Amino acid sequence: MKVIIFGGTPGSGKTSIIKFIIEELKDFKIHYVKFDVLDTTDDTLIKEKFGISTEKKISEDVCPDHYAALEIPKIIRKNQDKDLIIIETAGLCLRCSPYVKEGLAVNVLNILAGKPKCYGPLLTDADLVVVSKGDLISQAEREIFRSKILEVNKSALIIDGNGLTGEGAIDVAEKIRETPEAKDKLTLKNSMPTAICGYCYGNRILGSEESLERYNKGKNLKSRLANLNCGACGFKSCNEFIRAVLDGKVEENKCPYIKEK
Amino acid sequence: MVIKKISILPGYDKDGEKENQDEIDIFEGQKIGIVGPTGSGKSQLLYDIEKLAFGETKTRRKIKINEKKADKVLKIDPAKKIIGYLTQHMNFMTDTSVYKFLKIHVETRGKHRTEEETEELIRKVIEDANKITGEQIKKDTNLLILSGGQSRALMVADLAHISESPIILIDEIENAGIKIKQALDLLIKKGKIVFLVTHDPILALDTDKRFVMKNGKINKVINTSVKEKEIADYLSWINDYILDIREEVREGKQVNQLRILCSLTEKEK
Repeated sequence: MKVIIFGGTPGSGKTSIIKFIIEELKDFKIHYVKFDVLDTTDDTLIKEKFGISTEKKISEDVCPDHYAALEIPKIIRKNQDKDLIIIETAGLCLRCSPYVKEGLAVNVLNILAGKPKCYGPLLTDADLVVVSKGDLISQAEREIFRSKILEVNKSALIIDGNGLTGEGAIDVAEKIRETPEAKDKLTLKNSMPTAICGYCYGNRILGSEESLERYNKGKNLKSRLANLNCGACGFKSCNEFIRAVLDGKVEENKCPYIKEK
Repeated sequence: MVIKKISILPGYDKDGEKENQDEIDIFEGQKIGIVGPTGSGKSQLLYDIEKLAFGETKTRRKIKINEKKADKVLKIDPAKKIIGYLTQHMNFMTDTSVYKFLKIHVETRGKHRTEEETEELIRKVIEDANKITGEQIKKDTNLLILSGGQSRALMVADLAHISESPIILIDEIENAGIKIKQALDLLIKKGKIVFLVTHDPILALDTDKRFVMKNGKINKVINTSVKEKEIADYLSWINDYILDIREEVREGKQVNQLRILCSLTEKEK
């Protein structure tokens, strides 16, 4: 099974380009997963258009890339009969990106959206950079942009892509064909930034005292959980459960693994 | 890289029917027009050429350069890329001066030049751009405030001098604000092969031949007649006249000279 991860800022044209790529890879048994923050209909659109299996994963309160990292192993386990898993993420802060060493990491980069050096691992760890919307600016600027990408990611293969015409799709499809099968456990290309402060545990009052108080409560509760992200409590992750407990929305005994105080 | 000849080997149209002609050869310094209604396959043909396709695209066309299949590095490395592209849109997004922008572009092309050579190249780009646009571009003008005509002129001159791609693809360039024929002459003078999608008669009738597209294939190849070249010349003269008056209007002058051209031989103003 091959694992292909697409990352890119909202509106960069990821989904449009992926559609053209799926068209090129009809001989594969594909499973498509879309990660998004609040909602998406891309999974149903792609299912209707190509008749392949799809699913959507909505991260809500959790960082979508951390959430993807949690969910990817489960997705792979459930789809052992597929030869290709295409995962489209909703990277937001550009710092996390659930690219894995054992698969192909594709960054769809909107040429109008800013300087390459302002991007983090989303761009710097990509194997393939698909530059979109290049048709809106001059060739000279496209060439300059390209050299700026190479300054931050020397080994990237850069492809001009266009979500309207499908330009670039055959090149990405070719790289997907060359990607080796992912056999063992997947490993992230970069470690994701730590996210531990009172605000991560749901504090909303801007103030160091309140934040610290919330942090201590959260840390204490976390130390009593099994941290399996098993979902038995009805929440996607332990962190989300902790936030809900601290907000008084749910009792802590909803977690089947919780240790007594 | 010197390109003496490009060959287009026939592919298939949208219904899987093979293109009528055998190999089409295009030689150094030629201008080829691509015409046809929306959806007839004009952009796909440009795409096949840009990709130096060899059977892998939808049309399964094969493009040969100097009788051979193109080396892969020519497709990927921008410094070695042999295709230059002038698209419909030529907006700039970099907030910098014309001079600085051209300088960055020269450096990006990776070819080593001395300080003087670089300065000379930039000077030439701006000088030639100003020959094809009415409103003058200065080296310290900010890119973002260039008019449509100025941007197009600057990009054509940039393509002629800095991007040394021997093959140029032009997709429906607008002629507003530039002397379009002179712009193309500037590219051709540099020995480039130019493919242009256009229905602008000044351009389409000034080519060496034009491909008529239909249902995804090259349906017909028309060799431009002498008469057509004359018509193109005449229309170009009218376009320049319009551009001159446009400048007079811009400068706040009263326009009072009516120029009438009775025959092509008295074209000189």
